Amino acid sequence: MKKYWQIFRISWQNTLVYRLNLVMWRVRLIIDFLTIYWFWWAVFTQYQLIGGYSQVTMLAYLLVASFLRSLVFSNSSYSACVEIANGDLNNYLVRPINYFYNWLARDWADKILNLLFFSVEVVLLVLILKLPLLWPISLGQWLWFILIALVAALMYFFFSFLVSAFSFWYPEHDGWPLRFVMLMFLDFLSGMAFPLDIFPPALLQLFKLLPFSYFIFYPAQVWLGRLSFAETITGFIIMLSWLGLFMLLTKLVWRKGLKIYGAYGR
Amino acid sequence: MRLKVYWLYWLRMSVMTFSSLISTRLASVLFLSGKLVRISLLLLFLLALKDKITLLAGYNVDQLIIFFLVYNIFDLLGQVFYRGIYWYRSEIISGNFDFTLTKPLNPLFQVLVSHTDWLDIPPLILTVIFLSLKLSSVSLAELLSFLLMGLMAMVLVTAIHIFVAAIGVLTTEVDHAIWIYRDLSQMARFPVDIYIETVRLFLTFVIPIGLIFTFPAKALFGVLSWQWATVAIVFTIGFYLLIIKFWQYALKKYSSASS
Repeated sequence: MKKYWQIFRISWQNTLVYRLNLVMWRVRLIIDFLTIYWFWWAVFTQYQLIGGYSQVTMLAYLLVASFLRSLVFSNSSYSACVEIANGDLNNYLVRPINYFYNWLARDWADKILNLLFFSVEVVLLVLILKLPLLWPISLGQWLWFILIALVAALMYFFFSFLVSAFSFWYPEHDGWPLRFVMLMFLDFLSGMAFPLDIFPPALLQLFKLLPFSYFIFYPAQVWLGRLSFAETITGFIIMLSWLGLFMLLTKLVWRKGLKIYGAYGR
Repeated sequence: MRLKVYWLYWLRMSVMTFSSLISTRLASVLFLSGKLVRISLLLLFLLALKDKITLLAGYNVDQLIIFFLVYNIFDLLGQVFYRGIYWYRSEIISGNFDFTLTKPLNPLFQVLVSHTDWLDIPPLILTVIFLSLKLSSVSLAELLSFLLMGLMAMVLVTAIHIFVAAIGVLTTEVDHAIWIYRDLSQMARFPVDIYIETVRLFLTFVIPIGLIFTFPAKALFGVLSWQWATVAIVFTIGFYLLIIKFWQYALKKYSSASS
């Protein structure tokens, strides 16, 4: 455990050495947020209700989605695909550490730094744009949200690793091609820019069959208290099923991948 | 004669990029799919809005779709021709930019067009076809106005890429600058008229993405007044000349680091 704590610390320090990278990344996220915010702000100057969302609920949704984006999607483990593709994985295979725990520790260093930045940004945004804040109304809702957000982060970790594992079979472009496609789906189907239930019910049902909506849309719904207890439980069971599946597939793919791993570039 | 040299350079670089693409076919298919997914899903979002809103800043959803398609055309054109800027940082930090400077070709031209992004061409063609189908009727005057504003848009896109290249020379930082431009340009997926006045002015005259993406679409609808068209032309010329001056200043400061 101690060595993963050290990895966490080193990763934290490493990110702080390249502060400009982190700051510019946060600037880009703020631009993204403002783009979405101003779009919805313009919509709600003319309309009272869109897809069951008032202006207050929609803006609160965007804030929670932004928090979840920092928590769930902040990661450095996307570089695993580069390490596999260029042979740097060798460095880890000969060390007495677990490759997954190593990345989990580094991911959490990245997540916590991003959340720290987010907490400052959100205060500024709320003060400057006078954004409405909606909080969960009961302790139960808080606990469900925390639990579901953490499961979403873990789910994304394994999902992302599965995408990276593509590099075992296809190391060209450092394993980025599949990740690029996945990022396009995530941008839209996770509910980052808009709640997915503004779509017609048939499309929403289709989106719910995919794992993407459980990264942001579903946890945000729990925060806003828009789900019944039964819907919360059902969603949570589906999330656990996806998590179990991703973990199982990761184990399988890692085992198969290592057998064909050629350490190209070494 | 010089033009022929530049044409041959561009052609050679484009052929090489194309060869590289077909040597990694699966990667190309995946990248292309990602680009198509991005455009399709946003169109789906706009279509989903159709039964929820009738007008936004005076535009109906069909018109918003046209704004989005025009945005894609100029966004994709910028990427087709100026993808080279994404590879430029390694040239600067390694000092290899020295070789670019010593060639008997304009270094700016080499930097900007060193990679032609062929993968943006299929989405570009599809966007143009979809746009033609979406437009019910366009008069000759509107078409000419669109082409003129389109030309201004491309000059501005070029200027912004030159600005990023100059920033690269001065600070060795390119990636964030170009990505911030890309992020900001996403604000123009919708007409900039929907934003509050301060934002609208910022997006028109500071980082002129409103002029690049919204003005050509407005010209196509015939809602761009000649006064605004004139402002756009004068601003574009001034902006371009200013950026060229900035590039020349940056070149004088090039330190040839690591070479």
